[in-house]
Amino acid sequence: MTSRIVAEFRDGLARGELLIQKCNECSRLNMYPRYACPHCQSQSLGWQRASGRGVLHSFTVLRLGAPEGFEGDLPYAVGVVKLVEGVQLLVRLIPDADGDWQGYRCDDQVKFSPMPAEQIQRRPCAWFTRSR
Amino acid sequence: MEDVWPLNIDARSPADPVFVGVGELPSGRYPERGFVMGLTQVALLALKDARMTPRDVDTILLIPNLHSFTDQADLIFSRMVEELGLAGQAKSSFMLHSGGSTSDNAVRVASGLIASGHARTVLVLQCERWGSADVREMITMLSKYGIPGEWELPTGVQFNAIGGLITRRYMAATGSTPQDMASVCVTLRKWAQLNPNAMYRGKALTVEQVLASRMVADPLHAMECPMLADGAVGFVMTSAEHAKQRGLGTRVRIAGSGGCVSHYSIGQEKDLAALGWATAAKRAYEQSGWGPKDVQFAEIYDSYAAVTAIAVEGLGLCASGDGARWFASGVADPGGKLPCNTNGGLLSAGHTGVGGGTALLVEAVRQLLWRAEPERQIAGCRRCVVGGTGGSYMDAQVLLLERAGSGGFQ
Repeated sequence: MTSRIVAEFRDGLARGELLIQKCNECSRLNMYPRYACPHCQSQSLGWQRASGRGVLHSFTVLRLGAPEGFEGDLPYAVGVVKLVEGVQLLVRLIPDADGDWQGYRCDDQVKFSPMPAEQIQRRPCAWFTRSR
Repeated sequence: MEDVWPLNIDARSPADPVFVGVGELPSGRYPERGFVMGLTQVALLALKDARMTPRDVDTILLIPNLHSFTDQADLIFSRMVEELGLAGQAKSSFMLHSGGSTSDNAVRVASGLIASGHARTVLVLQCERWGSADVREMITMLSKYGIPGEWELPTGVQFNAIGGLITRRYMAATGSTPQDMASVCVTLRKWAQLNPNAMYRGKALTVEQVLASRMVADPLHAMECPMLADGAVGFVMTSAEHAKQRGLGTRVRIAGSGGCVSHYSIGQEKDLAALGWATAAKRAYEQSGWGPKDVQFAEIYDSYAAVTAIAVEGLGLCASGDGARWFASGVADPGGKLPCNTNGGLLSAGHTGVGGGTALLVEAVRQLLWRAEPERQIAGCRRCVVGGTGGSYMDAQVLLLERAGSGGFQ
């Protein structure tokens, strides 16, 4: 059973939108989405569409030892992105044209990259790419 | 809210909790050594070291295993009470769990029980069979531990990727080179040569070998990733008064502790090159009145080199940003000015799951009791810092341990 906040976040990704939870009481942003606002404890929580712009805090390319079900994805890169809105999340990174991530650097400007709904169904996470 | 508060016990207090004995079985691949067999053997070793028998124990704390949930149930449901002949006598037996930092929290819990009078003598036991378990199964299990299923599991992140994320940020923030990072592993391997219980005893390692090994999770090479191992450790704690009554002149006390839980999800850590170490260290130093200069040696969780490099910086043992270069300088090597991870650490003694941190704690106590093998015993050592962390390096836990000296109750 997927809870409401998970379903709504993933529905957003499938529509090509990255959503950030926004508290209806204190207006603060929460990432990851929570069941009560960690700032004011309100349970009245909505969404705000993210700008999709951020900075890559760090990343790694997994080449061996994928978790079960991810073997076919190897190699793949995950990264921690700090959004301009002031919240952060773990994402998948889209490779450069050469199929690798050698051009990526910490602190690169990155942007959210909408993925087809089928891809989100398979891997319900946000995908990012370098801005430059 | 106050960030730091004083301990209610000190070296003059009869209720001061002290370590009086440790035990350990060799780490590595020991498929013939069963789970309960290992727990029993290590219990008897620790009790012998404390000049006790099982009848002297009223409380047993169990450090979890990760190789099997069925075996873990034996820890939860007090099997060791029966195995050690304590049925009807034991007051309490339970398992504690915070991943790699469990041993630090077990010490806090045991101390609280002893200082408050809820327990007199506490036996802490750990046994892991990771080295003999199915690797595929363990990777799958570990890929779900400490990772939020709703938000991060779909990315395919797993433990080595978490190590890679921390290492990458650490190298970018400090300018540490791949050689600097590999040198941490080499220091640990040197120590493992002096520890008869270490998995990699007898196997030398060079920086070149580390860098020539396969890339697993850029920038982490295969030889920078810990090897899953079987292992078992145990220790005994009691009150200073009880230790004295039993004629146990040599003991180790806790000068202070500090902790910082900085995140749960790796994607929510604000600074992957800092984690919670500086905050935890500040709290521990303030509570104890120690400073970094009081630390004579360190035993710090080291499932990846960057985690330990970040910790030694946060603990103030070297300048900020110099952690990996500090290892490369040889200062933490055998014979160095500030020995670090004198058992070889998780990376070279073997990653025994939740037990990896427990083995480092046990090594700290063993050193302070002056009971390590002569070739690695730090002569005359009296003060040590123990650092632990668990899950996605969600927390930094610091224990400041000292050999009980003359004066006051001790």
